[in-house]
Amino acid sequence: MQVKIANLYPYELNLYGENGNIKALKYALEQKEVDVEIININPNDKINFNDLDFIYLGSGTKENLELVKSRLIPYRKELLRYISENRVLLVTGNALSILDFLKLYEIEETEKRVVSDVIATTSLCPDNIYGFQNTEYLIKSTNKILFNINEGYGNDGTLMEGYIENNFYVTSIIGPLLARNPKLTNYFVDILTSNA
Amino acid sequence: MKLLSILMAKIALIFGKILNRGSSLPGKVALKIDKKILSKLQYVCPIIAVTGSSGKGSTSNLIAEVLRDNNKTVCHNNSGSNLAWGITTSLIKNSTIFGKIKTDYIVLEIDERYAKTVFQDLKPDYLIITNITKDQPPRQYNVEIIYNEILMSIPSNTKIITNMDEPFLRKFALDLPNENIYYSITQNKYSYKSQIFENLNIYFCPKCHTFLEYDYYNFETLGKYNCPNCDFKYIEPSTTAYNLNLEDCSLVLNDKKVNIGGDMLYYAYNTLAAITTLQELKIEFSAIINSVNKLNISKSLNFKAYKKEFIPLSSKAENASTYNQSIFKVISDNRPKDIIIGWKEISRRYKHFDISWLYDIEFELLNNSTIGTFYACGIDKNNIKQRLILAGIKESQIITADSLLDIKEHIINSESEVIYGILNFDYIDPFTETFKEEESCK
Repeated sequence: MQVKIANLYPYELNLYGENGNIKALKYALEQKEVDVEIININPNDKINFNDLDFIYLGSGTKENLELVKSRLIPYRKELLRYISENRVLLVTGNALSILDFLKLYEIEETEKRVVSDVIATTSLCPDNIYGFQNTEYLIKSTNKILFNINEGYGNDGTLMEGYIENNFYVTSIIGPLLARNPKLTNYFVDILTSNA
Repeated sequence: MKLLSILMAKIALIFGKILNRGSSLPGKVALKIDKKILSKLQYVCPIIAVTGSSGKGSTSNLIAEVLRDNNKTVCHNNSGSNLAWGITTSLIKNSTIFGKIKTDYIVLEIDERYAKTVFQDLKPDYLIITNITKDQPPRQYNVEIIYNEILMSIPSNTKIITNMDEPFLRKFALDLPNENIYYSITQNKYSYKSQIFENLNIYFCPKCHTFLEYDYYNFETLGKYNCPNCDFKYIEPSTTAYNLNLEDCSLVLNDKKVNIGGDMLYYAYNTLAAITTLQELKIEFSAIINSVNKLNISKSLNFKAYKKEFIPLSSKAENASTYNQSIFKVISDNRPKDIIIGWKEISRRYKHFDISWLYDIEFELLNNSTIGTFYACGIDKNNIKQRLILAGIKESQIITADSLLDIKEHIINSESEVIYGILNFDYIDPFTETFKEEESCK
C-alpha cells in the first residue's frame, strides 16, 4: 500500500518547523508498513490532485502566503472537488488565510498577533491536543469547528477553533501539530489507510 | 528636562558604583524624565551600531576592544544591555553634564527589535547587520517582520555593513539607496555543493523570486549564489577572507593570518564584520590585525576526563541556526561519538512552551553511523527524543534523563571516547561541572 503526501511550497511555507507534520505522518504510516511518497510541490509545478492522498499547507510570511494564494486560486474547482471527494487536506497556522478564497470559512486578521500555548480537545481522537498559536489570522466562522479550546484563542472570540469539512482540516495551531500529538496523527493514519 | 535627565542618570550611576551594581537603571531614569534624551545628546564622534539575530555582542565587543587597543576612547554598552535603557545608560555615562559624548567612538550593540526606537533619536554612521535568522518565534514572529523593522529604521546617511555570502541581507541594498559595504569568506575545506538544510530564510532570488543556484555553500544559505533568471548574484567584496581553518581558529585576509577566536564559522564572520568596520574607520590594517590577533584568543570549552574528550557546543534555544552550526560541527568529526542534547529552559523572557523551532533544526544530519548513543536531557527530554525519532534515529539509540547527573555513570562507563554536547548556553556550565574530573578543574 502506498500513500502520496503533497507538501505544498515547502521552500516558502516553512515557518515554525511545520514540515514536522509531514515527518510525523510519514513515520506513523511507515510504522504500519505503509509505503509513503512525499511530493514537494514547488512554484512552477502543476498539481495533479487525482494523484494525491494527503495535501499539506503550513505557515509562511505574509508575502509568501499571498504568493501561494495567487498560485492556488486557479485550482479552486480542483480543490473543492478534492474536498468533496473526502480526500485529506490539512492546513495549519497562518496558512488558513490562503484558502479563504474557497469561501468555505471566513477569516479575520487580528489586531495584535496571537501568541499562546494551546490545550484543546477534539472528537477526532482521545486526550488533550497540545500546540501553539503564533498567527495574525484566525478563522471567524464558528460552524464546523475542529477543536474545543481550553487554553488559547478560538474563532471569533469563542472557545471553538478551526474548521472541518469532510477531510478538510483547518487550524491556527502549530506545534508542529502532528509531531506533538501522536493520537491525532494516528487518526490521519487510519483515514489514509482505510481510504485506500 | 535634558539637564535634569542627565543629572539624575549620573546620580543613579554614582549610586550604582557605590553599591557595585551595573544596571540599566540610570538610562531608565533618564528616559523617564526626558523620553527624547537620546536625540538631545551631542554626538561629535563616529557612531557604530551592531544589530542582528546573533553575533552582535561579539562583533561590537571586538570593534570596541580593537579601538581601545589602538588608544582610542570608546563608549560601548556591555553585552546584555542592548535595549533602550542600557544604551542610554552607556551614553550618559560617557557624556558631560551638558550631554556631549566625550569618547572618540560610540559602539552600540542594539537588540534587533529596538533599532526602530533607538534610530529615531540616534543616527549611526555605520550599521552592521550580522544576520537575520529565525529566532525566538513567540517574540519575533518571523524574519520578514524583523527585516522590515530594521529596514524602516535605517537613517538615510547610515552605511550598512553586511555579509555578502547571505543573499537575504542583500535585500537591504535592493530596498534602500544607502551605501553598502560587504565582507565574505570564499570556498573553503568545509564548503559543500548541495543544500543540506530545510526551513531556511531564503531559497529564492529577492529580485525575481527564481530559485537561487549556488556554486558552493559555506553554511545554510551562506555561499556563492546567483539567480539563473536575473542579474542578482554574489559579487566578491574587497574584504574577502580565504583559507578558513577551524582547527587552528584562523583565516587569511590580505595575506595576513587572522585569529577568529573560536572553532565555529560564526566566529569567522563576526571577526570579519569587525575588521571591515574598523577598516572603514580608517584604522590601519596591520594595526587592526595585530589587535584582533591579540584579543581573539580561542577559548576552547573542550576538556578531557575519564579518558574521554568532552566537546560542549553552545547553541541558543529558539534559534535553529545556532543548533544547526553545532550539528554541522559534530558531523564534520568522523570519530565514533555519543551526543548529549539538552537545556535548562527554552526562554528566560517568557513562559510560552513553543517547541516548533526544534523542527527547524536539521537533526536528520545526525542520522549517521559514527554516532552511538543520543542522550536527551532536561525538562524537554521527551520532545527531544520525539524529534530525534522523527529524524530517523532509532529509538534504541536514545536515552532520556532529567539531568546530566543522571547519565554521568552511563557516560563514564560507555565505550565512546568522544562526547559532544549540543547544548543551550545555559547547559554549558552544568555540562562542564558534571563531567570534569576534579583534578582537571585545577
